[in-house]
Amino acid sequence: MKTSTPTEARAVIDNTTPPKKIQFRKLWQTFGPATIFLAVFLMISAFNPNFLTSGGMGIVATLSAPILMVALGQAIVLNVGSIDLSNASMSLLGAILLALALPNFGVTSPIIILLVTTAFGIFNGFFVAYTKVPSFALTLGTLGIFQSGALVFSNATAVYVSDNKDFLGHLHTTKLAGAPTTFFIGLAMAVILWFVLRYTKVGRGMTAIGLNETGAVYSGLKNRGLKVVAFGISGFMSGLGSLVIIAQSGSASPNGLGSDLLLPGIAAAIVGGTSILGGATNPINVVFGALTVSMIPIANAVLGVNAQAQSLVYGLAIISIAALMLNGSRSGIVK
Amino acid sequence: MANNNSGTISPSANTASISNRINWRRLAEPSALIATLFALIIIFSILNPRFASVENLRNLMDQAALPLIIGVGATLVILLGSIDLSIEGIMGSAGLAFVLLSANSRSESDFGLLALLAALLTGIIFGLLNGLIVTKVKVPSFVVTLGMWFVGLGFATVLYGTETIPVLTNPEVSSWSSTLTFGAPNSFWAAVFVVILGVITLILTKTGRSIMAIGNNEVIARNSGIRVDRIKITVFALAGLLSAVAGIIAAIKLGSGSPSVGLGSLFITIPAVVIGGTALAGGKGGVLRTALGVLLLTVLNNGLILAGVSPSFQSGLAGAILIAAIVFAAWSQRDRLRIAK
Repeated sequence: MKTSTPTEARAVIDNTTPPKKIQFRKLWQTFGPATIFLAVFLMISAFNPNFLTSGGMGIVATLSAPILMVALGQAIVLNVGSIDLSNASMSLLGAILLALALPNFGVTSPIIILLVTTAFGIFNGFFVAYTKVPSFALTLGTLGIFQSGALVFSNATAVYVSDNKDFLGHLHTTKLAGAPTTFFIGLAMAVILWFVLRYTKVGRGMTAIGLNETGAVYSGLKNRGLKVVAFGISGFMSGLGSLVIIAQSGSASPNGLGSDLLLPGIAAAIVGGTSILGGATNPINVVFGALTVSMIPIANAVLGVNAQAQSLVYGLAIISIAALMLNGSRSGIVK
Repeated sequence: MANNNSGTISPSANTASISNRINWRRLAEPSALIATLFALIIIFSILNPRFASVENLRNLMDQAALPLIIGVGATLVILLGSIDLSIEGIMGSAGLAFVLLSANSRSESDFGLLALLAALLTGIIFGLLNGLIVTKVKVPSFVVTLGMWFVGLGFATVLYGTETIPVLTNPEVSSWSSTLTFGAPNSFWAAVFVVILGVITLILTKTGRSIMAIGNNEVIARNSGIRVDRIKITVFALAGLLSAVAGIIAAIKLGSGSPSVGLGSLFITIPAVVIGGTALAGGKGGVLRTALGVLLLTVLNNGLILAGVSPSFQSGLAGAILIAAIVFAAWSQRDRLRIAK
């Protein structure tokens, strides 16, 4: 009996909060992402009907592919209550390594890169889980290391894939309903991760840690191992991000495509209904989040806002949605 | 929590030996840092004789100035147990606001000191927003300030617009930072001034003591009547103000306006604060310790470049040092039940 006390305590607290707010949060987490997506979509279509007829959604899907990859990884890490600030730089470093590896190792190089980035993720997770340092500080550190790695391996210039780039390029050029294969790979990953989170022991365990880590430990969950898995998944998804970058542009550079994926990735995860405090995410909704975030530049252009002000919108979106979801949900200490 | 003073609780112990022991402990960490600093200086002087030249000393002072100024604000925020990631965004906005309102190549209008005030106010407003959202809406500071980082960058980009680069045209303004006073660049004196103010605030004022109390144990601080929210908002606003000061000096150094004027600042400041020995959990550390951390990192970066190491390694080195410092600090508390997000 004693071991279940924390979970019970939590249940009691949940019962005392007004049911209306819980309902709102539940509703938001289920339907919010799709609703926001539809709203932005309709707004763009209303202001600019060409968006529908000239394959605008195909472009959005293409833009969203790399964001979707890092966002899914971020959602898994956020779900255990941590954050991974290094995942975008990991993608970029992976893309540069992939560009360098492709001429030599050919078809096996994507697998090598996926292994490498997964190892990076496990490295992050290992430090967070076993040395108990705050994840934002640790991943800020690894972000710096990966950035340096990207600069060093690329000699601070663009690396072009000199050979064997076609088979990855097909992922970008082969299209279904206007959207590239890369987007569908992301979609498939979202479904797989959704399944893992809903129906496997590992997935349920990760969500439990995000909801109440102390409770999870007392219930016998291996909190440290599960955190390593979460960061490992983030690393793997970053590796897929690397593949998308190379497939789309055939080159990688420290300040080219993919160098500013961090914020769109977090924004997509949060717009996709992922709780910043952990314990709530739905990878399928993250797909809507990624699509919405990719439409922001287009929406900016349609509304006549300076297109370069994107980061302003992303920043505001992160703060306001985090605020909206947290409002009234916690009364304790906020660091 | 990170609390070294637990020994003082026991009333039976000999007071003299306790104060002795605490003093040693307090001195050990900074002494190790100072020793490392001297070791680095000696090594780099041997590797490249130019390192120890007067000219490079001025360089070092100039390079240390910005992280010193930002570091004071970052230390106060971290002492609360919070974090401020919005530094680079605020620097961009404030720096650009200053350039656009001073005499520049885009417009004739020169608002003089008002430009300075407007830029500082920009920083304060961003900081106030950070503090208000953290305390009133209860969003964790790393999320708020991460968002504000990019809001600041976006705001700066909007200010920048699509016209030509705004270059500072008044030579008195654009040369201010590198002008020597008593042998040291003005930017360094500004930093010294800020550090001294920071030390006084933290050690001698009620606000400063409250910051330490909140970082140590927020519940006790609140229960003993400290206005926790007000202090937190003040600290975030102060941090915003200092980021703005740094942004203005950075813009003056560059001689023109750019949204990315603060690029890389976060990467020197946070590691410097942590290396100095300020705990990310809050309540332990100080401004002078951060100053030591900044000097150490500045000497390291400058020395490595003079020794012929590519600048590409800089952020990686800072990152590795950050990881080593936080892991070292958290090592004794890595209990399985301890929750680290």
